[in-house]
Amino acid sequence: MHKEERGIGELYSEDPERADELLWGRKTGPSRRGFLRGAGLASMGAALGATIPFHANMPAGLIPAAFAQGIDFQLEGKDPGLTVLNDRPVNIETPPHLLDDDVTPASRHFVRNNGTLPDPMPLSDWRLTIDGEVETPMELSYDDLMNDFDHVTLRLQIECGGNGRAAYDPPARGNQWTTGAIANSEWTGVRLRDILHAAGLKQSGTHTGHFSYDEHLSGNPDLDPISRGGPINKMMDPHTIIALKMNGEDIPAAHGNPCRVIAPGWPGSFSQKWLTRIWVRNQVHDGTKMTGQSYRVPRYPVAPGTDVPEEDMMFIESMPVKSLVTFPEAGTEVAAGMPFEVRGQAWAGDNEVAAVDVSFDFGATWQRADLSPPPNRYSWQRWRANLRLPMAGYYEIWARATDDEGVSQPMVVPGWNPRGYLNNQCHRIHMMAV
Amino acid sequence: MKRFSLGSGAALAALLALAAPAVAQDNGEAYEFAPLPPGEGAEEVYYNCRACHSLRIVVQQGLSRDVWDEVLTWMVEKQGMYEMPAETRETVLDYLAENIGADDR
Ligand code: HEC
Repeated sequence: MHKEERGIGELYSEDPERADELLWGRKTGPSRRGFLRGAGLASMGAALGATIPFHANMPAGLIPAAFAQGIDFQLEGKDPGLTVLNDRPVNIETPPHLLDDDVTPASRHFVRNNGTLPDPMPLSDWRLTIDGEVETPMELSYDDLMNDFDHVTLRLQIECGGNGRAAYDPPARGNQWTTGAIANSEWTGVRLRDILHAAGLKQSGTHTGHFSYDEHLSGNPDLDPISRGGPINKMMDPHTIIALKMNGEDIPAAHGNPCRVIAPGWPGSFSQKWLTRIWVRNQVHDGTKMTGQSYRVPRYPVAPGTDVPEEDMMFIESMPVKSLVTFPEAGTEVAAGMPFEVRGQAWAGDNEVAAVDVSFDFGATWQRADLSPPPNRYSWQRWRANLRLPMAGYYEIWARATDDEGVSQPMVVPGWNPRGYLNNQCHRIHMMAV
Repeated sequence: MKRFSLGSGAALAALLALAAPAVAQDNGEAYEFAPLPPGEGAEEVYYNCRACHSLRIVVQQGLSRDVWDEVLTWMVEKQGMYEMPAETRETVLDYLAENIGADDR
């Protein structure tokens, strides 16, 4: 096994002045204080997100206290079976067999963070600002949202736009999600449309921009880790909510406490966590990760590896039809000739899933699964099938969902795109009959 | 239901190597710049690329030189990274393209 990455503390304990130089480009003069010709001051300041007023006194080889804690990281409240892609920022996905619950517990909900995982803000300090293209800008407290608006409770799928990225070739940059950046928890909150109506949404309001209190990884307060938003129609959809509770409890820190957007069926980045402001705009929002190639795909099919100009890229809206085999776990043994249940979840962004088919012979023949209707729109749907593996040997169970517009999951990785979004290839697990 | 593990040790080792590019050294000691794979320039990457995020985001990738070049520019233009001296940047880029390239994943 490879060793844990070394902490900044370890670096400094070995050779503090070398660590200074390597990390920040810092050099000190004969006094071994301050910054020789300013070398390293700017980079240390940038990382701290602040100027260092008494920098001339700062001894050589001193770790700024802001970084002094180790990087060993454990996310409280998460199932130990989850896969940590990264600890800083925190990015964690869920293996398929841990997505077997119809309502995903918080302990099994994937985490996608662009910036820091902030300490929850005290409710007494927290406010949600609604401004921009509205008649009456508002500042709402958590109590206002609890007491002054109707609440709805819905099971809503949230999927990272980059779920499945790891399968693209050539590889696309970003977190290498396999299949587990999807979840379907039960969220209680206020419809965003009710809030926008209360604020007097103007005709000119065509888009939203969302802001939050997490911090940019560089520590620079002028940078937002992420600030996305969407077209007003999606935001006025009765399923788009400002969530106050997750599975009946306060929203955990990792999922946006105290309050977040949920714009279900679209890439998770529309669903800003740690929400503090919704800016109603008269143009497409131009916040962090709204420009360039983030969350965009080419307007036309491209060959793998193509360098696509930015103006030929368009936003992803609805996520595509998809399914997972959540039971049994890959690698399970069953008795040859004996029936056993295979089951999973299926979802289709803005659409409903109309059918799920399963195969145990590499797609040569397919069997229709039983499919439950969603308890509400935008929930994933349970499917089940009884299979019998005819003789002893190695099998793969494949599942393929089809949405209500007749669109099915592809058997192979779908069209390559520069940032590796929208991979809805069929999920398959291996099994052994004995 | 019982679970089985795949028989082929070699295949499994190959998978593990894919999942964790920084594997233990032969002598059983961890590489000093782990999780980076050993190579010329690992030290520069180690010290320049972990102020904001862990190196796991770096070793997860497998990118061509051109895409690495873009990532380094993006880091400075959009993510508030200080600009490395040209020579260091070249060393870093060489290392990334060589050791965490599109064929290395
Ligand atoms: C000043 C802070 C900072 C420094 C220093 C920095 N990065 Fe980053 N890097 C970021 C931020 C912020 C992100 C975006 C994180 C996210 O959204 O998940 C990022 C993301 C990445 C990604 C993922 C790319 C993607 O498209 O999501 C890679 C790869 C990466 N950095 C490599 C590097 C390398 C290599 C270095 C050293 C040469 C480096 N970084 C140094 C801030 C930094």
